[in-house]
Amino acid sequence: MPDLRARLFTPARDPSWGAAAALLASFVVSFVAMAVTGRDAVAGFGHLFSGAFGGPGPLGETALKASILILTGLSVAVALIVGLFNIGAEGQLIWGALAAAMVGRLDVPGVMPLALMGAAVAGGLWGLIAGWLKVHRGVHEVISTILLNWIAIHVIQGWLVPGPLAAAASSAQVNVAGTEAIQRAAWLPRLWPGTRLDLGFPLALLIAFAVWFLLARTRRGFEWRAVGAGRDAAHAAGIPAGRRICEGMALSGALAGVGGALLILGTEHRYPGVFRTGYGFDGIAVALVGGGSAAGTAAAAVVFGALRAGATRLQLVGIHPSFAELTQGLAVLLVAAPRLFQPLLTRLRARSAPPVPP
Amino acid sequence: MNLVLDFAAPLVFAALGGVLSERAGVVNIGLEGMMRFGAFGAAAGSIASGSPWIGLACGGLAGAAAAGVHALLSLRFRANQVVSGIALNLVAFGLVTYLLQSIFGSSGVSPPAPALPRDRFGHSALAYAALVVPVIFHLWLSGTPAGLRVRAVGEHPHAAATLGVRVLPLRAACVLGSGVLAGIGGATLSVGILGQFDARMPAGQGFMALAAVVFGKWTPLGAAGAAFFFAAADAVQRHLSLTLHAADLRLDGLFLALPYALTLVVLALGIGRTRAPAADGVPYDPEGRT
Repeated sequence: MPDLRARLFTPARDPSWGAAAALLASFVVSFVAMAVTGRDAVAGFGHLFSGAFGGPGPLGETALKASILILTGLSVAVALIVGLFNIGAEGQLIWGALAAAMVGRLDVPGVMPLALMGAAVAGGLWGLIAGWLKVHRGVHEVISTILLNWIAIHVIQGWLVPGPLAAAASSAQVNVAGTEAIQRAAWLPRLWPGTRLDLGFPLALLIAFAVWFLLARTRRGFEWRAVGAGRDAAHAAGIPAGRRICEGMALSGALAGVGGALLILGTEHRYPGVFRTGYGFDGIAVALVGGGSAAGTAAAAVVFGALRAGATRLQLVGIHPSFAELTQGLAVLLVAAPRLFQPLLTRLRARSAPPVPP
Repeated sequence: MNLVLDFAAPLVFAALGGVLSERAGVVNIGLEGMMRFGAFGAAAGSIASGSPWIGLACGGLAGAAAAGVHALLSLRFRANQVVSGIALNLVAFGLVTYLLQSIFGSSGVSPPAPALPRDRFGHSALAYAALVVPVIFHLWLSGTPAGLRVRAVGEHPHAAATLGVRVLPLRAACVLGSGVLAGIGGATLSVGILGQFDARMPAGQGFMALAAVVFGKWTPLGAAGAAFFFAAADAVQRHLSLTLHAADLRLDGLFLALPYALTLVVLALGIGRTRAPAADGVPYDPEGRT
């Protein structure tokens, strides 16, 4: 069984260069696309930049969005480590969000960490389904996680939130109410007055560090990597490969679930009636551009978080914020085909580095 | 009952596109994006030319153009086919929204587009085509030399290559054909049913078509049958929510989840031969041995 990560990442011998080149190229193509359709591309990119980095407010928004993307990106990256392609972070995220919104309503001490844990469990269980189906029923995880996404979206947003779990209809907010508001004690504390930056960002960075430590420095992490590199070989070496795959998918789902909890506990404070996140799908882009490592994923999450935050200001020049999706998709397209850059990279390396003796 | 045919047509075309690509050995997660390009291209072409038929052709071409990117990346540059499809969906979402705003100055809907003529039952020709095309496709895939070659490159490309089949050009052609079909599926939504483009199109129908491909076990008739079954579930749901006040019970979400849940159950229980083509998703390396 070929290593999924090897198939995704090897052709560029230096993946961080490949990713940086792909990101740069995607921004250039977006710029050109804006210019040729008659927009003021310089002003557009100026707004994009100032919306992401221009002052405390924008920086807070960038960090806020990056923290969710770190978690969904890590979710996809951890699944890749055990050799699975988790397309299902979106479904796992909204289960986590729902669990956080439910637990967050309880009037108990320590409700905020409890809500985070509840979200991790809910997302983890949803991820575990795909892992279990893969190991025991041979169902390909790409198919099962796509199906599980849509099941989660319809069951939660089409049934549970507007139905059994809906807030009692109060006069002003019948249709957009969503669920009952969570306890004030469950809110993530804001860290920087005047911005929406909250505890979620340091928490996400801490989790990224923990994931790196787990994967790079522990026995269990080594076994996960071994299973991802070759399930049969790992099995022959005495590693219970099936169990490790299930564990990896459960952790993957839990990470996405915590990402959903950050959205609820940080900004929404209830499961809203209209909840279009896309963070789960963007997590795929983050993990791929980040090269599947924890540090790379965190870095890519900050770039895409800035893009998301800045894109809201594109409306000032009459461009829909979904322009960010275009740039992000281009980056993934370019990262997906490292062979595009291979000739260029080889030439650069030949020019800058002296030939290495064999 | 009348609704089923209308609901099914976009799914049928897109699902057939999925079957064509995957039987040739190229995974196509990008159906959703191809449908989106098709829906928008058809509306734009129809508005620009005044003829819905030219619009339909534009829709097919737009789907093919999107598929061309998928083919180029996954075949020429051997990108991972799942990643390429995901990226295509992201690009389709962003680019089409951007074009909608650039060309028509709206982020919600396009201006009304000339729609295909309807018969007295309210169906356009596309709805009836959705009944006929799967049968033709089935006969072509199972009974002609070209169909045999497609199946061969999807099951064992190296064996096909030793018999003189040019694997990569044939796969590229199938991916492009898949884009045409998915584009027509998208066009069915815009110039076939609604008579304009809506920024939310195709609203997950590409993924439902993908589920139909799997539910239908990668066969044209199976996938089309699954598309009709899913469309029927959708029609029943709308009927119930209109008549039984099921909207109060909020059962519509459960009904919408049903096709996906059933597909998952069928896969989990391994009912029948639910096996993808052997070389589905495996990049073809002419120098490789397997």
